[in-house]
Amino acid sequence: MRVLLVEDDADLSRQLKGALSDAGYAVDHAADGEEAHFLGDTEPYDVIVLDLGLPKIDGVSVLERWRREGKTTPVLILTARGAWSDKVSGFDAGADDYLTKPFHTEELLARLRALLRRSAGIASSTLSCGGLRLDPRAARASVNGEPLRLTSLEYRLLHYLMMHQGRVISRTELVEHLYDQDFDRDSNTIEVFVGRLRKKIGPDRIETVRGLGYRLTPLPGESDDT
Amino acid sequence: MTDGSGGETGVASEPRTWGRWFGRPGRSLTRRLIWLASAWIVLALVLTGWALTNQYQESSLRRLGDVLANTIDQVVLATNAGADGRLTVGEVKDDRTLSPLQGKYWAVAEPGPDGRLRILVRSPSLAGESLTIPDELPARLAAARGAIISYNDPDGLRPGGEGPLGVPLRVAASMKQLPGRAEPVVFLAGIDRSNIDRDTQQFATFTWTALLILGLGLVIAVFLQVQIGLRPLYALRNEIADVRMGRASRIARSYPLEIQPLAEQVNRLLDHNQETVERQRTHVGNLAHALKTPLSVMLAEAGQQKGPLPDIVRRQTEVMKAQVDHHLRRARAAARAQMLGEITPIEPVLDEMAVMLERVFEEKGVVIDWRSPENLAFRGERQDLQELLGNLLENACKWARRRVRVSAGSTGLGQMIVVVEDDGPGLPEDQREAALQRGSRMDETTPGSGLGLSIVVELTRAYGGRVSLSDSELGGLKAVLELPALEA
Repeated sequence: MRVLLVEDDADLSRQLKGALSDAGYAVDHAADGEEAHFLGDTEPYDVIVLDLGLPKIDGVSVLERWRREGKTTPVLILTARGAWSDKVSGFDAGADDYLTKPFHTEELLARLRALLRRSAGIASSTLSCGGLRLDPRAARASVNGEPLRLTSLEYRLLHYLMMHQGRVISRTELVEHLYDQDFDRDSNTIEVFVGRLRKKIGPDRIETVRGLGYRLTPLPGESDDT
Repeated sequence: MTDGSGGETGVASEPRTWGRWFGRPGRSLTRRLIWLASAWIVLALVLTGWALTNQYQESSLRRLGDVLANTIDQVVLATNAGADGRLTVGEVKDDRTLSPLQGKYWAVAEPGPDGRLRILVRSPSLAGESLTIPDELPARLAAARGAIISYNDPDGLRPGGEGPLGVPLRVAASMKQLPGRAEPVVFLAGIDRSNIDRDTQQFATFTWTALLILGLGLVIAVFLQVQIGLRPLYALRNEIADVRMGRASRIARSYPLEIQPLAEQVNRLLDHNQETVERQRTHVGNLAHALKTPLSVMLAEAGQQKGPLPDIVRRQTEVMKAQVDHHLRRARAAARAQMLGEITPIEPVLDEMAVMLERVFEEKGVVIDWRSPENLAFRGERQDLQELLGNLLENACKWARRRVRVSAGSTGLGQMIVVVEDDGPGLPEDQREAALQRGSRMDETTPGSGLGLSIVVELTRAYGGRVSLSDSELGGLKAVLELPALEA
């Protein structure tokens, strides 16, 4: 497994390099944003550890560039600024996990293992409906190429609608597939989630069929190029 | 505030209500403007009324004077002095002087040896009555020979006060020298004044009524004008109150030329305030960054070695980390206390937190089921709401087996309640208090810092809210957060 470690502090870099090597990773190290971007762009890493406070280009910008260029390598961000607003902006830029300094080395290793397990087996057959794309194995969805940020319940709803696109699906059927057996079922739950989904994927993709349920269809004019 | 104490510190002998409305008008702009304008209006109207009625009366009397002078001229022309000095008055062609009590009278008199006037001839209309002659008249006539002296005869014809004889007269008198007679002769003419008096009276009544109505109208107009004119000030006051209450972040309306600079200065002050807070926060963040990387190094280094020294270093590093966190939070809270007018809708923050934390805990398959009214907003900063919800949700995700449930709702009293529950093992009652204490860790084996809940407690307190822990029906811990809110 190849890992790119991006960290500007010399001592911390040395320690992490040692710990990662001991854990069996092949480690490359970058000490500033430019070098990090170059390496991440050219070398096929399995996972990247990215410090956010970097010289030349900051970590969030580097991450944004990678994601814009289509790099899907899982990225764990290290941040000294423990504030949630920093974590959120890291995620918005495309991070997969975060770790707040100071941290225990074992925790970093555990998180990396988890990231690698998750990323294994990405790129499988996707579902599509007009501009909507859904990758069931990676549990990711996008609309017109833009990644969607869905909660898992929203994702489940969209997944079910996409598997049965064009068909009217009743609320009861939807709520049964949304929740596990033991989850409580509120009557207006589906309306709430359909409302949130519409906010994220556009208001007209999910049609309300009065008295019957909901139906997912491509937008008029969109070709369904599955 | 100033109004309330003003009554007390004002002139002590004044009754309160008097002091409120009439005393120290300088305390209220409205009162000052209204009193000033009213005083001026009353003064101007009184002067106008006095001048108008006076002018009207003067001109009426002048008209009567012309008539009387004409009558005197006629009588003078008709009067002849005989060789013996006797006076004869020929025909005076004025119908109203011919028959008794027709309203117009004349008489010819001469000064007697006692200085009084003795009437020699009188008009038929006088019917034997006499015109009232004031005592000082002869002297005045003598002093201004040929001139006409007019006066009011209030009692009318003698014996006055009864019937048509009681009518008030205007009398004119003139002393003339007739050819062929050594002694001067006094000609008197009188005319009924009652019509003129009535007209003058009516004019005065009309004038004063009209002026009173005009005055009242003007005072009301001034009152309205002041109220409307000062309305932007009240609006500005309300907007500033809104900013203070957190219902708005800036003065947004545009104001009249005179107040706009004030509104802009207030906005500039708010900006300055915000900048100061941002600067403090940046410093605090920089300090955090500067300290935390070295702490990470020490922690990692100590972790790689065995023995008493690394143990001490590791423990002390943990303490330092807790201290840094604690004091940075205090500094941030102090900066926050100066923040005004921030509003953060809760739904987007819950959404981004849920998406992010489900991703982080993806391996475990945690499902975050959150509900919030769309129009519910937190009266505070976004960063703080992220901090509050992030820590509570992360904590719940950490302990949950599969499920985390979040529901937010307004209490309708400017407060909202956020409930975060999980289906984890929960927390025994005797440990809950400790879990909310600073720096305590609930479980050393769960990765991450145990500081999450204490941050939540401190932040909530800074906003005047509350946190409490109890059992959830899902089986785990239930955290209830009370925060200031705004329902749009």
